[in-house]
Amino acid sequence: MSPPKTATAKKAETEGPGGPSAGSEELISGSEAIAHACRLADVDVITAYPIRPYDTVMQYVSQMISNGQFDCDYIVAESEHSQFEIVKHASTVGARVFVGSSGVGWLYAFEALAVTAGLRLPMVAMVGNRALDDPGAFGVEHNDALAVRDLGWMLCWVATAQEALDTALIAYRVAEDQRVFLPCAISCDGAFLTHSQSIVNVPSQEAVNSFLPPYERGDKLLHPDNPITIAPQANEDWVMEIRRQSDAAMRRARKVLIEAYEDLNAKFGRGGEPFIERYMMEDAEVALVGMGTLAMPVKVAVRKMREQGRKVGFVRVRWFRPFPSEELQQALSEVQAVGVIDRDYGFGSAFHSGVLANDLRSALYPMERRPKIVSFVAGLGGREVSAANVIEITDKVFDAAGGDATSDQDTYWIGVRE
Amino acid sequence: MQKSNVEPITDFIGTQVLEPWKGIKKVAQQEYFTSGHRTCQGCESAQIMKLMAKAAGPRSIILGSTGCMYVANTTYYSTPWVIPWMHTQLGSSGSAATGTAAGLRALMRKGKMSKEPINVIAFCGDGGGADMGLSAISAALQHTEYNLLILMYDNESYANTDIQVSGSSPYGANTTFSTPGKVQRIMHRRWKKNTAAMLAAGHPECKYVATICTSSPIEAMNKVRRALSIGGPTFIHSLDPCPKGWDYDPMYSHELGELAIETGIWPLYEVEENTVKLYGKSRQIAKGLRKRKPVREYLERQGRFAHFIDEDFDYFQAKTDEMWEKWLVPGVIPFSNP
Amino acid sequence: MSTGSVEVVYRGIFQKTLAKNICRGVVFAAKKAGKIGIAFGRYSDSPERNGIPAKQFAVVSDTEEELEEYLSRYEPDNNDVTIAADDTLCKGVESWAWYGLQPINKLLADGGTLLVTSTQSPNRLLSFIHRKGTPYNLALVRSPASFSGLWVYKDDHTDVRLLGALAKVAPHIVSLEAILETIKEQWKDDSKVQSAKKAYGATESHPVSAEQGNEEIPYEFELPGWKDMEEGLVIRGISAEAQSITGRDDGGYVPTRNTTFKKFSTRSMRPVINFDTCTKCTVCWLNCPDTCFDVTPDGFYDANMDACCGCGVCEAVCPVADCITMVNEEAFDGNDGQWEAWNKDKEAYAGWLAEKIANRPPRAHGFHHVGQYAEEVKNESA
Repeated sequence: MSPPKTATAKKAETEGPGGPSAGSEELISGSEAIAHACRLADVDVITAYPIRPYDTVMQYVSQMISNGQFDCDYIVAESEHSQFEIVKHASTVGARVFVGSSGVGWLYAFEALAVTAGLRLPMVAMVGNRALDDPGAFGVEHNDALAVRDLGWMLCWVATAQEALDTALIAYRVAEDQRVFLPCAISCDGAFLTHSQSIVNVPSQEAVNSFLPPYERGDKLLHPDNPITIAPQANEDWVMEIRRQSDAAMRRARKVLIEAYEDLNAKFGRGGEPFIERYMMEDAEVALVGMGTLAMPVKVAVRKMREQGRKVGFVRVRWFRPFPSEELQQALSEVQAVGVIDRDYGFGSAFHSGVLANDLRSALYPMERRPKIVSFVAGLGGREVSAANVIEITDKVFDAAGGDATSDQDTYWIGVRE
Repeated sequence: MQKSNVEPITDFIGTQVLEPWKGIKKVAQQEYFTSGHRTCQGCESAQIMKLMAKAAGPRSIILGSTGCMYVANTTYYSTPWVIPWMHTQLGSSGSAATGTAAGLRALMRKGKMSKEPINVIAFCGDGGGADMGLSAISAALQHTEYNLLILMYDNESYANTDIQVSGSSPYGANTTFSTPGKVQRIMHRRWKKNTAAMLAAGHPECKYVATICTSSPIEAMNKVRRALSIGGPTFIHSLDPCPKGWDYDPMYSHELGELAIETGIWPLYEVEENTVKLYGKSRQIAKGLRKRKPVREYLERQGRFAHFIDEDFDYFQAKTDEMWEKWLVPGVIPFSNP
Repeated sequence: MSTGSVEVVYRGIFQKTLAKNICRGVVFAAKKAGKIGIAFGRYSDSPERNGIPAKQFAVVSDTEEELEEYLSRYEPDNNDVTIAADDTLCKGVESWAWYGLQPINKLLADGGTLLVTSTQSPNRLLSFIHRKGTPYNLALVRSPASFSGLWVYKDDHTDVRLLGALAKVAPHIVSLEAILETIKEQWKDDSKVQSAKKAYGATESHPVSAEQGNEEIPYEFELPGWKDMEEGLVIRGISAEAQSITGRDDGGYVPTRNTTFKKFSTRSMRPVINFDTCTKCTVCWLNCPDTCFDVTPDGFYDANMDACCGCGVCEAVCPVADCITMVNEEAFDGNDGQWEAWNKDKEAYAGWLAEKIANRPPRAHGFHHVGQYAEEVKNESA
């Protein structure tokens, strides 16, 4: 016999967050904020597979669906590889999709991640950043998301639940723009963002509709009315041209991102500057650079040091791909030294630095008067980065500012037991 | 009335009703997989692609996982496909079918796409299906809310990558990863995986599983049409003689398919709504109306078994006899009553 | 100081071992003459297919420096010798990995030698071989093409005969002495040494003028730039529209086909059809893996010679005796349809058909049963 019919869900009218009425204030975590963004974006297909800390987002999605607040096909896959492959294919027939993972789960899907970018599909994913096994650890580290940094994924790091919600809407708008058609991953630091709650303004459906147009696949739609062949096997006669197309799309994404932030600021009265956030950078002599929730202790420390008259500022990198070379050159053109705090590692890389430090060095190298760059690795595996750690870091950056050229040629591990 | 997202698509969109073709003259003339693919002479896997597309018709989407039918069929910038086709990863036939079906169902349910039953077929080779993609296929067959068909074209090796042994390669076959040598005559000692029956037995809600062979083209097409008409997730396992990997004159592709059936090595059956039915010559064999030919007549025709000596033929024969004499369902379910 | 390169064009899996043996032989023989060599297959031809043309190369030099130029190439384009292991390859080469028809002599250096195993006359072959525009030589080894499959090799000495012939036409690459010594070492079979010696003596070479050869312009394909290619790895599917075989509105069915890859250069035999005995049973049409049968207005099935790759399945499945017969490709000019010829003049067609079938060589397309190759070799040498 067939299973009992479930009562047909009724769309939430006024009750619950995000009804057609005005935006509402909610006390929610970063994961829940992104679940609200999925509901407001009217996502069509979502796939889940358990791994913490990202999986909390799927718990909220599941609740919204069962409560009739959100209508989408919600599939619990049998592995991350399938989880990402399923939404990849849903996207080709015109469905707006959402997916996510953490740590080794993200890497289990690695093949799917590579082809999704190659196929130019606007998949939006949340990465609840998590240290890679082994050792198995739940805490935050950025190497999981960073593993795809050269494959054609747009990558960003958010610092608050509000930013997580807003950035998810931006991600759909930019990824689905036909000038771009690239996947986008939103990184949320495990624990500090995925599991801690703060007050978030959840915009109204009308506001979101006015900001986010529907997903149109155009003449790339896989449908009997548009008989196309997608992704045949290509030999050396073709691959360079195909890669060059993706390169052009990633270059175009910059402009589309700028447009999206302008519109978000106009319609929502928030969103700030695309690519980077500048904190107390006016007249700064040295600057700290980092990504994600690291911003919290850094800002605390910067304020303390400013009180003591030390001219230090902070630049938070919001978008890592496309990498904001121009913005960083401009923001750091006046400082004497930069301290890059990586919540990741690049074993054996230049000066044994973290990934952000290496990319920043390349971005600043062409500058005529470039600052010294000191690289720091901190907070691995979810270890707390304290304001004291940040002050310790800043001291070394000031030393470098006054010191000789060799002083920036190594990487400091902060908060590690000797 | 708004359908909930757990409603089976068969309840609000239905399926295409594809009546079986009674006789070769009734077969549709229209081709949806046409000339200009780059497979070997006498490629029966290309033949099953043609039959599958013909049977499914124009309102279909085909997903093809990595293998000969991807690399050799669709070489970039040209295609033999008339209907929409897309590549999927080696282990992803199940996920590709699920994702495509889910996208269509969600968009139609939410009124974002005009409602119509569209056939979703994902194919995979034996490497992609019986080996790497098995767990995704298993998951797909649990999703009764979707209409999808997974067709596994089994040429009994990783044929595209140069004939390496797979879980679906027959015992003792010569492959580039199991080459007979001076010390070891038989390098591949695993018995061929019983994929179709395993999936049928393991997924009680899957409404249709069948085995087919290109040597019975009309039966093969009608099984595809049956699977698509019944709806829900379905699975078809096709045995495709491969002149390259099996090493025989391409002219005999059809004949080798027949021999695989007549020797009892390849049983033809379908499992519809949990009822198993052998068909064609396999049914006659099971009913005792047809004597199985000795497996030698099949094995000796292929270079991949040229290293076999009597004891190898005898072992192969004994294992094949078991399928018909000891199995709970002859040729299908390898249990026996106490 | 000199470099010599040999291109071996062959029918994929059917002749993979043969081509490998030839290239290995060249490199080992060069070593005996104090030279160094390399052997490699055209990477994009792999994985090779049954019958679809593929290439291997052997390059020998006096010095490492000269050889370096060839070490990272797919396809040397200035070969001293091009070996066609099957003379039907003289009609042109279309690898599964590229677009367009490449003349068999395209990568042959001016004044080089095209070495072909064939039982045909040089003039017959030149009616297939595209005009090169520069003079070269055509040399023949008198034997039918040698085909065998992946696992069982047909050792009919074709490999060593070609090596012997190579020493004759390109002594600056390999000397006869070096070749014979190499064969002795590699195969430890004196009869193979004798075969090579015999081939050396028997090989005839004919000068071909710049203007000689098939005047047809082989179809080409121009690779577009990245801005002209569709994004998202998308290409348009083939149109569902079918035409009529006659181009007139009088019925029949011809499916639209892949216009950029035709596959006929894979064909070493083609089916000839007796429309007088055909019962229109449609079995050939349904069982053709390459969808090559066009449906005629009067309901016959006509093998389209641009699409047919010559597998022979149609002959095998046809229920009517001698209605479809596979005949060696050398016997035909062009790719014209047979039904139209039959339709025009049934008597003339019957005569043409009888002549083609009567003169066809025995089919040798790979493995049938254990011991078969030994029998075939015995019969051929007898």
